[in-house]
Amino acid sequence: EDLAKKNTATRAVVEHRRRLLEEWNAWRQRVMEDLEDEGVDPEDLRGPQDGKEGEEPEEGQVVE
Amino acid sequence: MRPILLSGHERALTQVKYSRDGDIIFSVSKDHVICAWFSINGERLGTYHGHQGALWTVDVDPSTTLLASGGADNTIRLWEVKTGRLLKTWDFPTAIKRVEFSPDGRRLLGVTEKRMGYLGTIVVFDIILEVDADQTNEPSLRIECTESKATVAGFSYVGKYIIAGHEDGTVSQYDAKTAEQYLNLTVHEPDIPITDLQWSADRTYFITASKDKTAKLVSAVDLEVLKTYVTDTPLNSAAITPVKDFVILGGGQAAMDVTTTSARQGKFEARFYHKIFEEEIGRVRGHFGPLNYVAVHPEGTGYCSGGEDGYVRVHHFDKAYFDFLYEVEREQAKI
Repeated sequence: EDLAKKNTATRAVVEHRRRLLEEWNAWRQRVMEDLEDEGVDPEDLRGPQDGKEGEEPEEGQVVE
Repeated sequence: MRPILLSGHERALTQVKYSRDGDIIFSVSKDHVICAWFSINGERLGTYHGHQGALWTVDVDPSTTLLASGGADNTIRLWEVKTGRLLKTWDFPTAIKRVEFSPDGRRLLGVTEKRMGYLGTIVVFDIILEVDADQTNEPSLRIECTESKATVAGFSYVGKYIIAGHEDGTVSQYDAKTAEQYLNLTVHEPDIPITDLQWSADRTYFITASKDKTAKLVSAVDLEVLKTYVTDTPLNSAAITPVKDFVILGGGQAAMDVTTTSARQGKFEARFYHKIFEEEIGRVRGHFGPLNYVAVHPEGTGYCSGGEDGYVRVHHFDKAYFDFLYEVEREQAKI
């Protein structure tokens, strides 16, 4: 019974996080759409010389 | 995640900043000197001498050509990054608490202190991004903070707004061209000062830190509070990490500073929270006094902190940091 309770609690936490993640992604999408409506080019949101966004960090930079 | 300790400053650190590509860290301290360091190994590259008082703030333009600094000697100064040459000095009646370049580097804002007879202001100078250029004497914009002085300020996405955090816990949004104030909202506990404001990579949202022991994630579009991070200590600084959805908070109460000179590690901690879930993930201890500033490598590969103890600690994230994912994040990554 305890295990069942714990599972329910865990499921509630996971559900909560899932909802937060969905809300966040929806907010990000809404903002980007609004900015495009404002006439902001998504490319301009990245500063000059910043072409590396989203790139994975290099293995060689990892310490320890 | 073994840190690199940068020792060279003789007094408390007040701000640390990475260059745009993250290879150089600039640090300022109450000792009047600006230092530049290689972030990869902590080697000191050089120093910038000239200020006559404690330094409160530093920033570097996105092309790493010009360095701006401000402090208790009532000046904003502009330096050539490469040589340490002083290029320009702007004088004010009061101290400079914050400087920040616009995303394109063509404007520089300064936050001036309030003092008897002088309101706190935010000034903007148009900048020519060349070392031999004749820089302007006069600000192109001046905002007077009549309600509550600004403590921190910066430029939003594409330099559209100036967003300021104030001594009374409010955040305001101004038009960066006309200085018109659009919004002023109480984001933190009333009458408790906001101590830091740092941007997301695209500057559509930012994080504020406050002495009220919380940090808040706020939309630059409408100043909506998106997230709140609750801690048990007054905060001096907060930063948003790219690559991973984390935020890093720094602060601490000097009163809890027990004598730890014999210990290898101090008790003051940088705190990591999940940006979206608002949950604390971990802490990194090490400083012997409060963390006055935390800065994140622009590519998210590490962070550094400047402490009241006079040290900068540089951390390069290890593989476990990048591998860490919540179950729901893994789910989403698969879709």
